[in-house]
Amino acid sequence: MAARSGPRNTRLLVVGLVVASLAIITVDYRQGDSGPLAEMGRAARTFMAPLQEAVTNVTRPVGNFFSGVAHLPSLAQENTDLKRELADAEARINATSQIEAQNQELVNLLNLKQSLQPSSVPAVVISNGMSNLNYYITIDRGSNDGVRTNDPVVTGDQEGARLVGIVVSTTTNSAEVRLLIDEGFSVPGRLATSGETGLVIGNGDQDLSMQDIPATTKFPAGDAAPESIFTISYSVGDLQSRFPPNILIGTVSSVVQGGVEPDATVSVRPAVDFSSLEDVLVLQTADGGSG
Amino acid sequence: MRRVLALIAVIVTAILLQSTVFSQLRLLGVRPELLYLVTILIALQEGPNQGAIVGFTCGLAQDMLLDQPMGITALTLTLLGYAVGMARQYIVSPSPLVPTIVVAISTALGVAFYEIVTFLLGQFEAGFTYAVKVALLTALYNAVLTPILAPLLRRIVEGSRPRRVVRL
Repeated sequence: MAARSGPRNTRLLVVGLVVASLAIITVDYRQGDSGPLAEMGRAARTFMAPLQEAVTNVTRPVGNFFSGVAHLPSLAQENTDLKRELADAEARINATSQIEAQNQELVNLLNLKQSLQPSSVPAVVISNGMSNLNYYITIDRGSNDGVRTNDPVVTGDQEGARLVGIVVSTTTNSAEVRLLIDEGFSVPGRLATSGETGLVIGNGDQDLSMQDIPATTKFPAGDAAPESIFTISYSVGDLQSRFPPNILIGTVSSVVQGGVEPDATVSVRPAVDFSSLEDVLVLQTADGGSG
Repeated sequence: MRRVLALIAVIVTAILLQSTVFSQLRLLGVRPELLYLVTILIALQEGPNQGAIVGFTCGLAQDMLLDQPMGITALTLTLLGYAVGMARQYIVSPSPLVPTIVVAISTALGVAFYEIVTFLLGQFEAGFTYAVKVALLTALYNAVLTPILAPLLRRIVEGSRPRRVVRL
């Protein structure tokens, strides 16, 4: 890199770099995922994945600590809730034998495994994306492990699967996952109680929004548990849902009904805490679905 | 050659930190733009020529790892590096706050430019308010990191300069 050059040479250099950038934008835009630039991008991500994995393994405790400090107010509330849940759990444990509890846990795990058919690939989050304008993560499993574009990604426990996002691109050893909260993400959902269906759309760091819910829909009121929203499976002509049914998307956090609008304004809190997401399952269902 | 390797190491480190550590250390939901920061600081120190080259390289490296049409960040950081490098001749104050202020303003303008280009290409799906929030908070975050990273980067850049041997 030449450090000394006249203003004219510098201007020529900048013009050259700007033209190169515009050419790259144009070529990549026209060729999409099949062009040489996309191949270079995949090669770069393949190269970076092991490095990201190593850095994540080393720095995750530090990141979790600072992330925890940033979330202290909510942690205090969570701590109170957990203490109450712990007291309940202890009471239950006293009332049932250890073997029964263990048996129940295994049955729950088996149920989850069966609900995740077809097969799933466990993966670890190695990067939380680069951009402030998109919500993507990178996982440590790629096409060599059977992960394909459009595979749904979930997390969960014995109570069931919770939707994380969908695979948008793969390399041999890693995959990019568009998160449920990304502004470009949408998934058909069903309200658990009323059975009404609508489109759940990502909204960045705000709660998700659910569209096409009639204003007359009844929601649980008062101290009742919030309404849950699950994925639905559909098939219309050649179009098929990309998501298996009954994966928990989130719970209704607020509803605005009334007025002249024919639809209710429904906000949905995601079922997944994306700030502490580490382990996920990739469901191997991709077959070119579209919804 | 030594300098090229040093700058490549800086860029790879910045990408790794941004996609791992700093993705967890968000400020009101926003992470810093370390490659913008590297471009601005090198342009401030080395001038428009190297500012543009480092900006283009940083941008292309980031584009490779984003699921966006490639070249947008390269275009943004090329212009940003050149503009900051040109602007440094008008900066006469020796105040240590100057780099921080320059980083804040340039980051906000750079992020806004990036958002406008992605919007024009139909790739920007967030709203106007969110775009402004991201630009301002990213600028603030980069400004906070400047006093920590600027001296480090200065040492790396100066340490990688080819040494001149004067024979008498």
